[in-house]
Amino acid sequence: MGATASQLPKDLLSEYQELTFLTKQEILLAHKRFTELVTREGRTSAVTRVPMEKILTLPELKSNPFRKRICHVFSTSELKDGSLTFEDFLDLLSAFSDSATLEIKSHYAFRIFDFDDDGTLDQGDLEKLVNCLTGDTEDTRLTTEEMRQLISNILEESDIDKDGTVNLSEFQHVISRSPDFVSSFKIVL
Amino acid sequence: MCYFEGQGYYSTEQSLRLRRLSSRVPNQNAAPHFDWGSSPEGGKDDGEEEPRNLRELAMPLYMKKKVWQVQQMRIPVASGRVRRSRALRLFYAEARNALAMVTLWRRAIHKIGGHFGGGVQSYFVFLRFLVVLNFLSFLLIAGFVLIPSIVFHSLPFNTSISHMPNTTNITGLEQCMVYDPNPGALTVFYIYFLDLLSGTGFMEYSYMFYGYYNNTMVVVDESFSYNIPLAYLLTVSFYFLFCLFCIIVRMGGVARVAVATGGGAAGGYSMMVFTGWDYGLQGGCATRLKQNNIRYQLQVDLEEERLKLKARSLTLLQTVGLYTLRGFLNLIVIALILGAFTAIAAATTFSQKNQRDGIVGLLLEYLPSIVITVSNFVVPFLCDLIAQLENHNPSTTIILALLRAVFLRLVSLAVLLYTLWSNITCENGMDTGCEPCSYNYQQYQCWETRIGQEMYKLTLFDFLTTIAVLILLEFPRRMVVDNCSNKLIQWVGRQEFLVPPNVLGLVYAQTVVWTGALFCPLLPLVNTIKFVIIFYCKKITLFHNCRPAVKVFRSTSSNIVFFLVLLFGWILASTVLIYSMAEIHPSYGCGPFRFSSSMWSTIPESFQNLPHTAQDFLTYIGSQAFSIPLFIFSCVLLCYVAALASVYGKSVALLKAQLKLEGRDKQFLVKQIEELQKKLKPKQDPMGPMALSHDHVQATCDPQDSYSSSPPLHSYALD
Repeated sequence: MGATASQLPKDLLSEYQELTFLTKQEILLAHKRFTELVTREGRTSAVTRVPMEKILTLPELKSNPFRKRICHVFSTSELKDGSLTFEDFLDLLSAFSDSATLEIKSHYAFRIFDFDDDGTLDQGDLEKLVNCLTGDTEDTRLTTEEMRQLISNILEESDIDKDGTVNLSEFQHVISRSPDFVSSFKIVL
Repeated sequence: MCYFEGQGYYSTEQSLRLRRLSSRVPNQNAAPHFDWGSSPEGGKDDGEEEPRNLRELAMPLYMKKKVWQVQQMRIPVASGRVRRSRALRLFYAEARNALAMVTLWRRAIHKIGGHFGGGVQSYFVFLRFLVVLNFLSFLLIAGFVLIPSIVFHSLPFNTSISHMPNTTNITGLEQCMVYDPNPGALTVFYIYFLDLLSGTGFMEYSYMFYGYYNNTMVVVDESFSYNIPLAYLLTVSFYFLFCLFCIIVRMGGVARVAVATGGGAAGGYSMMVFTGWDYGLQGGCATRLKQNNIRYQLQVDLEEERLKLKARSLTLLQTVGLYTLRGFLNLIVIALILGAFTAIAAATTFSQKNQRDGIVGLLLEYLPSIVITVSNFVVPFLCDLIAQLENHNPSTTIILALLRAVFLRLVSLAVLLYTLWSNITCENGMDTGCEPCSYNYQQYQCWETRIGQEMYKLTLFDFLTTIAVLILLEFPRRMVVDNCSNKLIQWVGRQEFLVPPNVLGLVYAQTVVWTGALFCPLLPLVNTIKFVIIFYCKKITLFHNCRPAVKVFRSTSSNIVFFLVLLFGWILASTVLIYSMAEIHPSYGCGPFRFSSSMWSTIPESFQNLPHTAQDFLTYIGSQAFSIPLFIFSCVLLCYVAALASVYGKSVALLKAQLKLEGRDKQFLVKQIEELQKKLKPKQDPMGPMALSHDHVQATCDPQDSYSSSPPLHSYALD
């Protein structure tokens, strides 16, 4: 498959370099990895979509508890099936790259944590988020009492306007005070 | 100038609109946030920033591509400035890339972070920092002391090598000048090995140690002369300042981050939940472990909170009982630590008094090192047992254990040095051998070399114990745990990689090197090699023998602690340096300072040889006329910075208040709208009242919110 699709036109490459935080090598590597995912007959172009199940076989994403959310957030598919084009894939890697800014990272983190896509983190979102963090099986979940205490603590700390949900600016306020975030919100191929 | 609506942050109105969009548009990602209708001048204004801005926009790539194409059309011929700035940016990108390629152990550290998380990674980053620091120090010493010394040793003697003028009257001190480091001519092979371990024999009189360096000043011609004692002293002093500078710079970076986060204490839960996940983790095992870590930490913190509530409800009697218990246990801990110190002092004195040959001699030589290492194994272990009785909350327990261990480690080194010192200067009152030479010349013909050897032995022994623990303890433990299904053994499990004790080991090793650097100039090189080997050993043991720790060490707050401890070690070492430079008489028999009354006196002597203008200048810098204005100036600067900090703090508070106010406005409006709705629309659509009311809220809220944010809301037409 490599012979047909491994070449990225030079002007496109420089365009991608302009528009993402990735370096040339990273884009080329991403292209290589992406073409490996595409089925044999499909040629990689800007419109080739790789279904979410295939994307999730990448070892970098395979065990991430947020893998499905990540795909959904970066997918531009009309069907909302989480499938990614190569450009979506680059978007993903750019947001998770070393040199992406805190704003970009926190923006996408917020979208990932916003499970119901309603623009704020409410109690349900927080509960799902905590379950993702602790592992979502019977014996790894927090008890109901602990969960209640935790969510009320989180809202107590970060819900500045006291409307019962955490919105993006409040979220970014928390993130901006966490120095580890930029280094941990990182996926490198 | 607002070119894009939605640069960087979504402001409130955007997030609200997003909420509305999601209920209507099937795919919110496609929601265009770009204002196509802005004026072309705007485009030109922002022209140079655009590509960067585009990159920082949170929108899908295909959108960005279109915007970019439009921009390219608007600026048909890129002006020279734009092109130059682009070329510059590309150059920076390439340079950063190249720099990343040469960074030491980049892949390895990345992999470690991926498997074991940030805390363990920070240990390896710290180790890398120390390796680089030691290597640079070695280059410094090699460039100014070692290479000149080698060159002058091998120089044909027709260039004038003048010995330093004797400043002290040495008549009657001939007995002090006896120094014969190489007694035996032929030695058995295994003696070489023993010498290598203890720094004696062939090692003693070599470039390794202080005693070998000459007190010569080489004058090649009128314009060039090289004074080795001066170079030696200045290099070592500069080495200390250089290390301090590196630590401060690194610590400044870390501290800035920690201060910006407000100490990290407030907002602990949100921080943990929002930023706790490490997206770089790969593999199911690492993920599960991280999940366990987070769950454990959350549970511990919640538990801690409950405990605090309980502690507040304790009766007076119970509180008094608890504090009495803690006081008593602290007394035991202090007694243990003092006992360790006494043992170290006794062992040092004993091993200095009894010099023998062969294996027994080697054991005697290593006695202080062994005692220090053993006490550093045993006492913290006992302290941990005691800490379980103390009933502190978990985070306090960790900090307390770390503080005790730091205290023990560094002060035991100080005790060793103090004991050596009092032996050298005959302050222990037993010897009367100090009379003519002002140091104990019978026992220490060249005391500087002896201290250098002592530090060399400590370094080597520390290294050997690390390797031995790896081979004899960690590896067998893993073998047993992996191959034995006994329940008890499985419960014990593989060992954890605990970050604090490991970091403490590094700091201790570095402190030893600093202490010995004056007396053993090649110690930084030895330490570089040692740390490189330790890096690989620790990496191997991490991947093969360890499971990640259940308790998480927060990498940011811990980084500061690492550097603070390192700074403490540096202070200890520089105290030793200053004391030995200013107070003790240098040996008569060896070294570059053999005829000076103290090492420091070389500086005033060479000061006399400087040209007059330089002398005047330096005198002026040292005078009150210079220092008082400098002091006043730094006070003013400090006041300015303090004022700036308080202003920033106020503005943060103001912004918070503003955010709160906006939230209240929003709630107020929501209430009003609900009332209006009740009046106007008694009938509701079957989707439920909330969806509709939300839409109305947005419509009314948006203008309300817009006063707070400058961008005019161009793009509403698109909705």
